[in-house]
Amino acid sequence: MPSTLIDKNDIMVQITGLKKKFGDLQVLDNIDLNICRGEVVAILGPSGSGKSTLLRCMNRLEEINAGSIVIAGETLVENNEKGEASYTSPEKARKILSHMGMVFQQFNLFPHMSVIDNLMAAPKIVKGQSDSEIRPIAEELLKKVGLYDKREVFPSRLSGGQQQRVAIARALAMRPDILLFDEPTSALDPELTIEVLKTIRQLADEKMTMAVVTHEMSFARDVASRVVFMADSHIVEENTSQEFFRNPREERTRNFLKNMLY
Amino acid sequence: MEQIMHTSALMLEGSKVTLEIFFLTLMMALPLGLIVALIRLSGLGILRWAMEFYIWIMRGTPLMLQLLFVYFALPMVGVRLNDLSSALLAFTLNYAAYFAEIFRAGIQSIPRGQYEASKTLGFTYVQTMRHIIIPQMIARVLPPVSNETINLVKDTSLIYILAMNDLLRVARTIVQREFDMTPFVIAAVFYLVMTFVLTWVFNKLEAHYAKYID
Ligand SMILES: Nc1ncnc2c1ncn2[C@@H]1O[C@H](COP(=O)(O)OP(=O)(O)OP(=O)(O)O)[C@@H](O)[C@H]1O
Ligand SMILES: [Mg+2]
Repeated sequence: MPSTLIDKNDIMVQITGLKKKFGDLQVLDNIDLNICRGEVVAILGPSGSGKSTLLRCMNRLEEINAGSIVIAGETLVENNEKGEASYTSPEKARKILSHMGMVFQQFNLFPHMSVIDNLMAAPKIVKGQSDSEIRPIAEELLKKVGLYDKREVFPSRLSGGQQQRVAIARALAMRPDILLFDEPTSALDPELTIEVLKTIRQLADEKMTMAVVTHEMSFARDVASRVVFMADSHIVEENTSQEFFRNPREERTRNFLKNMLY
Repeated sequence: MEQIMHTSALMLEGSKVTLEIFFLTLMMALPLGLIVALIRLSGLGILRWAMEFYIWIMRGTPLMLQLLFVYFALPMVGVRLNDLSSALLAFTLNYAAYFAEIFRAGIQSIPRGQYEASKTLGFTYVQTMRHIIIPQMIARVLPPVSNETINLVKDTSLIYILAMNDLLRVARTIVQREFDMTPFVIAAVFYLVMTFVLTWVFNKLEAHYAKYID
C-alpha cells in the first residue's frame, strides 16, 4: 500500500527527524519513519547500525535528543523552541506508551512467577484487573501460543522458544495496539526459531501492528509488509518487502542482501 | 536438686532476654536495611550520601563501641533509654547497615532486562521494585542474610557489658558463685541449638526459592 493512500488516523507510529546520541556517538541521525495500522515492518541492517536503539526510542527505553514521536495520534516527544527533544508529562507518556508492547531477544520473563502469573502480573498490578477478569484472557492467550499445559510451570523449566512465546503472550495480555520485537529469535536454535516465527506470523494474519528487528530474511520477505534497511545511523532504503528483495535500489542494500542470502 | 532447678530457672530468664534482643533486632533491622538500600540506590543525592556515611560508620566501628556509646554517651546529651531499648537501638542500627549492603548487592545483581520488561508492561518504578526486583533479590540474598543472622545470635552476648541479665551474664554469675562450669556448657548448647534451628529455617527458605532458579 503506498503511504499516500493511508488515512492519517491509521498512522500508529510517526517518527520525524529523530536524532539519538550516546555520548559523542551519533547512533540515529534524522530518522523519519511511519508505521501504519496493521502493518508489519521489518527493520534490517548490519550490526551496530542502530536498529535496536530505534526500537527502544519508540517506547522510551532510550530518550531521544531531537525529533518527534507520535503514537496513535498522541505526541510522546517533540522539539521545543531550542530544537531539543522535550517529552510530555509522565502521566501522559505512561498512557501513550500503554499502546505499545515489547518482546526482547533475551525474553526477560519474570523468573519468580509461573507462566500464567507472568501474563497476569501487569494487568493486575498496572491496570488493577481482578484475577477472575484476567485469568480467562491469560489462559486463552496461552492456548493461542500453544503453552496452556505449561501455565503453572516456572520459566526456567521452558525451552527458549517456549519462553519467547510466553513473552509474546505476556505482552499481548496488556492489549497493546503495537508490538515491537528486537531480534526475537536470535537467541534461539533454528528449530525453536520456527515456532516463534509461526506465532508472530499468526499475529500478522490478525493484523497486529508490528515492528520487528530481525536477521531472518525469509521471515522479512514472507511476513513483513514493509522493510526498512538501516546502515550507519540512517535509513538507507525503505520499500514494500516484495520490492525490497526483488529490486533493491541502493548499492549498500544489495551488498547486505548478498551477504545475508548466500 | 533445688539448686539445679534454681539455676535452670535463672538461665531460662537469661535466654529470654537473649531471644528478645535477637528477634526484635531482626524484625527491625531487616526492613530498615531494605529502606537504606533503596535510598542508597535511588538518585537522591544528599540522602544517598547520608546513607553511605551511616553504613560507613556502622561497619567501620566495633559493635561493642556502638553499644557503649548508646548506653553511656546518649544519656549525657539527655537521651535516656532503658537497657533493652539501648541494646535494641545499637543492634538494629548496626545490623541494618550490614543488611543494607547485602540487599544493595542483591538488587544490583538483577539483570537490567527485568527493569526493561517491567517498564514496557507499564509498571511504575515502585511497582517494579515491589513486585519484580525485591522478590527476586530476596531469593538471591538468603545465604548472606543467613550468615548475618547467625552472627547476630552470637553478637547478642555483647549486651553482657550492659549489665543486662542475658544468657551469658547469668551463666557467668552462676559459675562464679558455684564454681561449677555447667552453666557455660548449657549456654553453649543454647547458642548451638539456636544456630541449628536458624540454619534449618534458612535451608527451607532456600529450597523454597530454588524452584525457580535454575
Ligand atoms: N547504552 C549504550 N551506550 C553507548 N553506546 C550504545 C548503547 N547502546 C548501543 N550503543 C551503540 O550504538 C550503536 C547502535 O547500537 P544498536 O544496538 O542500536 O545496533 P543494532 O543495529 O541493534 O546492532 P545489532 O544487530 O548488533 O543488535 C552501536 O555502535 C552501539 O555500540
Ligand atoms: Mg540490536
